[in-house]
Formats: sequence, C-alpha cells, structure tokens
Amino acid sequence: MSLALYYYLSITAVNILMSWALYVPYRMAHLHFITVANMAISGYTAGYLVMALHVPFTLALAIGFLLGGLIGYLVSLFIGDAPTFAVVIVGFTFITITRTVIENMPAVGGTMGMFGLPNIGGSPSVHRFVILGILYGLVVLVGFLIHRFDHCSLGRAASAVFVDKDLAVSLGIDIRKLGILLQTFSCTLAGGCGVLYGFIYRSYHLDFFTFHLVGITMTIIFVGGYATMWGTVLAAPLLYGIPLLFPPEIASWRIVIYGALLILVLVLKPEGFITRRSVHCVEAFLSRRQKN
Amino acid sequence: MQVLIAQIINGLSLGSIYVLLVTGFNLLLLVAMIIHFAYPQVVVFSMYITWVVLQLTGNNILLGVLAGVGSSVLLNLISAPLFQKVMKNRGEVDINSTMVLSLAMGMIITDVLSHSFNRGLPIAFPEQISESTPVLRIGLITILSGQVWSLGVGVVAVTGFFLLLYKTRAGRAFRAIAEDPSGARLVGIPLLKTGLESYALTGILGGIIALLLATLLGSASPGLGEQVALKVLAVSIIAGLGNLPGGLVVGLLLGILEAVAQGYISGTWSNVIAFVVMLGVILMKPSGLFGTKL
Repeated sequence: MSLALYYYLSITAVNILMSWALYVPYRMAHLHFITVANMAISGYTAGYLVMALHVPFTLALAIGFLLGGLIGYLVSLFIGDAPTFAVVIVGFTFITITRTVIENMPAVGGTMGMFGLPNIGGSPSVHRFVILGILYGLVVLVGFLIHRFDHCSLGRAASAVFVDKDLAVSLGIDIRKLGILLQTFSCTLAGGCGVLYGFIYRSYHLDFFTFHLVGITMTIIFVGGYATMWGTVLAAPLLYGIPLLFPPEIASWRIVIYGALLILVLVLKPEGFITRRSVHCVEAFLSRRQKN
Repeated sequence: MQVLIAQIINGLSLGSIYVLLVTGFNLLLLVAMIIHFAYPQVVVFSMYITWVVLQLTGNNILLGVLAGVGSSVLLNLISAPLFQKVMKNRGEVDINSTMVLSLAMGMIITDVLSHSFNRGLPIAFPEQISESTPVLRIGLITILSGQVWSLGVGVVAVTGFFLLLYKTRAGRAFRAIAEDPSGARLVGIPLLKTGLESYALTGILGGIIALLLATLLGSASPGLGEQVALKVLAVSIIAGLGNLPGGLVVGLLLGILEAVAQGYISGTWSNVIAFVVMLGVILMKPSGLFGTKL
C-alpha cells in the first residue's frame, strides 16, 4: 500500500470518528468541541507512556479512551444540560488551555512536539495495517452503536431535546443525564482517536489539534447532514479527498473552501445532503426488497 | 504595588475594548437574534484593511480609519442576508445555526488573512497609530500615549453607545425588539430596518474597535480574531447573554485580570489564567452572573 493511500484512508477514518464524536452530542443540540482538546490530552499521554515508560501500545490506547471518557464525564457534570453556546465556549476554552499547557511541558516536547513513536508490530508496513485495522474496526463498531442509538428510545429522546427542550422535559426526559451520557461517549471516542491520530504519523504536534480541526469536523457534519450518521460517512472521504486532487496553490485554500461550502449548505440545504427523510426512504426501500 | 497599579491601568485600556466588543456582540444578539461569533474576526479584518490603506497612502490616518470602519460595516451588511436566510430556513429564530454560520465566516476570514496579507506574517502599525511615547512615568509605572488614547476613546465610545441605547429613539427601538419582537412590531417599529441598522451600527463600532486595538497592541496577526472571539463570547456568557450592563462590568474585570496576570506570570501562562477563571465561572454558572436577557 502506498503511503499516500495509507494517509488518505487513515485520516478519513479519523475524520469519520471525530465527526461522529461531534454528531452524537449534537443530537441534543450540543456542539461539543472539547473533543479536540481530549484528542490532544489522550494522544500526548499515550505518547508519553509509550515513549518514556515503555507501556505497550494497546494499554496506552485503552488509557487514552479511559482518560478521554473521564474528562468528558467530569466536564459533563457541569454542562450536561447547559445551553449550546455555553458548551461551545467551554470546548474552545478547553482547547486553548490544553494547547498552552502542552506547549509549556518539556516532558512531551513542548512546542517541538513528540517524535519517533515506535512502529506497532515491528515493521512500517505491519504498523500501517494494524492502524488501519483498528481504525476501520472502530468505524464499524462505533457506527453500529450510533445506528442502534439513533433507533432506540434514547435517540428519540435526544431528537426531542433538539426540537424543544421544554417539551422534552415535560415528556419526562432527564436532559442532564442524557447530556452526561452523550458527552461522555463523545469524549471517550475522541480520546481514542487522539492516540491513533498520533500513531498514524508516529508523532504528536500541537498543529494537529487546532481550531482548523474543529472547522473540518463541523463542515463534515453540516455538509453531510447533521440529522443522520450517514452524512458523515459520505462527507468525510469526499471533503478530505477532493482538495488533495487540486493543485497545491488551490489546495492550500482548503479551509476557505470548507468555510464557503459550509455557508452555502446552511443557506441552501440547511439539513445537509443526507437528510433523515432520505435515510427513511432508503430504509423503507431496503425492507421492502427484503420482504419480497 | 507600583506594578499592580500599572497593570490595572493597562487592564482598563484592554477592558474598555472588551466592553465595546461585547456590547456590539450583544446588540446583534438582542436585535438581530444572532450569535455573531466571528464579530471579533470582522474587527481584525478591519485592522488589516486599515493597515493596507495606510501602506498604500503613505500613512494617511484619516483614509485608514475610514477604510477600517467602511470594511467592517460592509462585511456586517453582507453577512446580514445570510443570517436572515438561515433563520428563515429553520422557520424560527435559531441562535445555534447562526452561530455555526458565524463560525464558518470566522474560518474564512482567518484563513484569508493568513494567506493574502503580508504573507501570513503579523502586521505592525506605523508609529502615528501605535503611539508608544511615555506620557507619565512614576517609578515603575509608565503610561504610554497609546494607552491613554485607547482608554479615552474607549470610554467615550462606550458612554456614547450606552447613551444611544438608553437615551435615544433609535436605542429604544433596539431595546424594544430585544425585549419583545412581536410587541415592537405591534407598536410600529420596523423589524427589518432596525435589524439592518443594528448590523450597520455594530459595523461602525467594529471599525472603532479595530482602531483602538491597533493603537493599544501596535500589531495584529491572523489568529488574533480567534483569541479575542473566545474571550468576547466567554465574557458575554459570564455576564449573561445579552446583558449589556453585565458585559460592561465583566469586560472591564477580564481586562484587569488579564493585565495583572501578565504583570506577575510569564506570557502564555498568564493567558491561561484568564481562560481558567472564565472556564470556572462558565462551568459553575452557565447562565451567567447577571442573568440572560434573551
């Protein structure tokens, strides 16, 4: 497998997972950008554990997931039922604080970053296959879980909160508990993604965890369609892949293109390209075929 | 003690700029019903336009200021129909979708600034704007002319803006819409026209803030807008979204806190202190200290 293809496939998988990490709490109108900070915290922690303490990769990955989940849970105790703008600003503030702390920590390389993470499985080619295997295994697992969530009572409760918070409360939905659950899930996923993100490049650098990443995941969700998980699956490979085909002088304007596309979609197609209605149509068609 | 006094004076200059930014942000929130997260990015864009015009005209300050104010008004007016369309699409006032639109605008502005102006490097304003001649020196305390200017103009602008909001007919119209849009329409206040006026007014305010920031900082970088945007939204939430007097108090306090922290702690860590305090308050009281006015 060529290096370019490996990077394309692995970053696409990370983008899908990170966009789902944003999608899940957005089901109840929470734009939970703390996920990017969690990526950095778990990633750097795992990197330090592997490099300095020689902890095995699998254990470091598990710790990354747990750490992400723990931070997400603790923060969600305060903002589980907070309004969207408060959740947004907590996320952004967390990113800024995390970046500054990492910048000033020589143990994890400070502004220089952390380089020379070991190959998993010995050789570079095995490393690539292991990383891709874990990433796409996660995509399938998380996709299944979100699909189940979307079709169960919890998913319907989240939809009710999205449409009308007061109505949801009067229906007996515990908004705070639901918020804690979704935010913790989102942060757990982001923590694991942070560890894997660094192992894709075998290095960690603060440039990986910037507001650009927030912009990219937000564009994927809103362009693909924020009302279903399938929008992300469609938009992530396209939005990451198409700019790679552009000449470098145009590709460097990627963020401007994303921003313009996001505005266009919000104005012209507010629910994104894959809407809940279109997913229902496909599901109905498939079930009819199954019956026949 | 002298360091503390010097830093409090610095903090008041910085705080007055935060107050102006939060007031503009709150006005758009109350009257146009949008969370314009990119408002500080619009301000930084105006700083860049001012810088370009100064370069082209051999530091003609009047033209620079006019271009800064004009670009800010223009950007705000261009974005107005986009915000209105997004809200119409959802069939109701939807603050979340306008925030996402605004975040997209911020992405574009920041990236355009880092690509197209001064090869992405920070810009420095000429001495006529960023005046740094000492006006007063007592021991460790040095007050620069730039600080005096930004504090003076900031105080005048904040006072003028609050007088406009609370003592004029136009201000009453803005506040009436903020309190009750349906009631305001019933008594004959044109919602669309007043909404557009709020975009134009915050545009003018944005141009003035750009000038004050240029005077106080003497430089700008593409990432400045993001940094300021975070603080403005945080101040607004801590004060209580849409709470104008609350924004005044919290904006000044943040400026002082930041400046005092800078006086005693090294650069990047001092910034974190302000963010940690903001984060603490938001986590403890997400609805704000002075109550939300929405």
